[in-house]
Amino acid sequence: MIEIKGTMSFAGGVHPQENKRFTEQRPIELFTVGKQVAILLGQHIGAICKPVVAKKEAVTAGQVIGRAEAFVSAPVHSSVNGVVKDITLQSHPVLGRAMAVIIETDAAADNVKRPCPQRFGADFDASAWDPVRIREAIQEAGVVGMGGAGFPTRVKLEPNPQMPKDVIIINGCECEPFITCDYRVMTEWTHQVLAGVQLAARAAECSNVKIAIEDNKPEAIKIMHKAVRECREAKNIEVVPVRTKYPQGGERQLIKAVWKKDVPVGGIPPMIGVVVLNVATCAAIAEAVVCGNPLTHRVATVSGSSIARPGNYYVPIGTPVADLIDYCGGLDEKIAKVILGGPMMGFAIADLSTPITKTGGAVTLLTKEEITRAKYDRRETPCIRCGRCLQVCPAGINPTRIAHAVKHGMLDVADQYHMNACIECGCCSYICPANIELTGYIKTGKILVARAKKRMPQ
Amino acid sequence: MMLAQIAMDQLLRGIALSAATMLLLGTAFAVVLLIASVKLKVTVDEKVQQVHEALPKIDCGACGYAGCASYAKAVVANPELLGKCSPGGQATAEAIAGILNLQVRGGGSAPLRPIVHCRAHKGDRTYHAEYAGIPLCTAANAQPNVQACKFGCLGFGDCTRACKFDALHVIDGLATVDYEKCTGCTACSKACPRNLIEMVPFGQENMMTVACSSRETGKVTRSMCQVGCIACGLCVKQSDLFTVDDNLARLNYEKYEPSEATETAMTKCPTGVIVERGKTARQPRAAGEKAAKASA
Ligand code: SF4
Ligand code: SF4
Ligand code: SF4
Repeated sequence: MIEIKGTMSFAGGVHPQENKRFTEQRPIELFTVGKQVAILLGQHIGAICKPVVAKKEAVTAGQVIGRAEAFVSAPVHSSVNGVVKDITLQSHPVLGRAMAVIIETDAAADNVKRPCPQRFGADFDASAWDPVRIREAIQEAGVVGMGGAGFPTRVKLEPNPQMPKDVIIINGCECEPFITCDYRVMTEWTHQVLAGVQLAARAAECSNVKIAIEDNKPEAIKIMHKAVRECREAKNIEVVPVRTKYPQGGERQLIKAVWKKDVPVGGIPPMIGVVVLNVATCAAIAEAVVCGNPLTHRVATVSGSSIARPGNYYVPIGTPVADLIDYCGGLDEKIAKVILGGPMMGFAIADLSTPITKTGGAVTLLTKEEITRAKYDRRETPCIRCGRCLQVCPAGINPTRIAHAVKHGMLDVADQYHMNACIECGCCSYICPANIELTGYIKTGKILVARAKKRMPQ
Repeated sequence: MMLAQIAMDQLLRGIALSAATMLLLGTAFAVVLLIASVKLKVTVDEKVQQVHEALPKIDCGACGYAGCASYAKAVVANPELLGKCSPGGQATAEAIAGILNLQVRGGGSAPLRPIVHCRAHKGDRTYHAEYAGIPLCTAANAQPNVQACKFGCLGFGDCTRACKFDALHVIDGLATVDYEKCTGCTACSKACPRNLIEMVPFGQENMMTVACSSRETGKVTRSMCQVGCIACGLCVKQSDLFTVDDNLARLNYEKYEPSEATETAMTKCPTGVIVERGKTARQPRAAGEKAAKASA
């Protein structure tokens, strides 16, 4: 029997209300595409794609519509059959406004894409695929990290003689409240995820794999463990339960918990021989390599206490948030805030035409009461020097010092206190009894420093 | 008795030894200091000091140096740098030229003054939701859709706080320059996270401008703002000083001179986004007020 209780963890962190009950038990559902989709040309870290289709051109689902020549980039594909209506600025969840290809869906065509987890079973054998071919297939399919950052997966997996990979950690933590899409993917598409894991391991030429799952998902741990045991070729894969705590799913925190190593500040995991992949990314890898399907759809959770039909939906990328909300029963007057992502790290959006991207796996709808409880009337009061922000900070820095330095324009002081080490997890803002928006100030400080550096000639 | 005497003796000898050592050390250090004070003598350059006196001493950084003192040093070393102090203007340049026996070249080019490329007040803009975050432009700019227009003034006054001359105020959600007080130090243009503030050579007392930065198509701009540039191109038809590029009209500031053509462009602009800025600038047309008829 596998141990379900996770002991591994990191220092700091908080325990926000999980709120997964709304959607945890809802199986992944297909989604009917709306009238149009807006596919953003920059959905990843790296070079933004150039459109390769023209206005009025007919496109089919899966066709490449944006491409960039740079190594760190990923192509984007149409998620529907239809006609390009426009190439224009569109609301972007992070950038505000960014270029997108607007496609009017062809009502006559069959626009429902079905997932294919049934193609993967316990007998899957990754050795039939050539590592170079796997990496190419991943790149062509436009697979990027689907957990949030959107780093092109191919770049992550590319073997680098200077930085050999010791371990691949599969991130199945899903520590954000409300979100359950990764949980559903793990429990329903278990073998597909596992196939993706094996392919990734082969592509990265590293056979040591750990699948980390938070111990508030015992079902997922059991199912994944069983699948790994059944699988002939998965000898080096280990399922490791980790303690339930936010931000357990943060890359640095997860590495600390599972591999007991620190990623240097300003560095990236490959420097210490680690690759972290999200479970949804693994499913996308399997589909890309085995079925040849580009990444055009993703599972997204729509959740909240006040929505009629919360659930996990298999949505085309580019679907406006408004369509998704309407499909789930629409907004009512109680809902006060729409968040793309979870309540801890997501972005509150005001323009509901903002489309779903490869990296955005959730729409969270909060009511006025919930926000009030989570400090809506953010009336900032003076710091009472309780030290709680220091206690919970997983990066081990002094949030209040940095935030106050930024507030008073002392950027050099903020820098001395290691502002750059902040992972913007929001723990300090969450815990602060004085309602100080610590994370917000720190983020602002980082932007100000970056701008000042850019301006300085030397 | 004997013992006491020996102890006394030792004590005295000890004291004598330490006194001698101290004396020696003192003399040695004195010599070192003496040599140092001669060899490492800092010659304060009279000229640098005079130039520093002539500068406004506000350390604004407009010249590109960390403060007035470093600019003074730089300009004494390299006369080419004369005239970089925009707050001091022509008078300071002449004063420095006098100290350094130089000629002021160019005879005073047009002074740089900031223009905020947005003219929308709170009521003119579309807001989809209420922003309850940190009241700094830089913080708000990092959030998607604080206001519908991603290009316009946020009105939290990062520029106001950067201004050392009290020449910039946020009035009803729009940063507004007080050209009487402005010295052209460029601090505001560096502070704005949306790069709305451009330093423009004011060849005239008042400068005409297209007070908008929106790169959205006309239709979208219209839905976001009542006074945005919709890139209709009417102004271009009136005067070739205007160009429309990337959904935004722009005036050629270097060549601008008030004329009938620019005047008609201003009155005919359907959204009234062509306005005058400067010490004695006329009030812009109120938002929503109709443009002049073609015959007018
Ligand atoms: S300072 Fe940064 S890393 Fe530390 S708790 Fe706050 S947001 Fe998280
Ligand atoms: S948690 Fe808030 S009140 Fe407590 S020390 Fe940190 S900033 Fe101050
Ligand atoms: S001009 Fe820029 S810095 Fe000034 S208030 Fe407007 S957005 Fe903020």
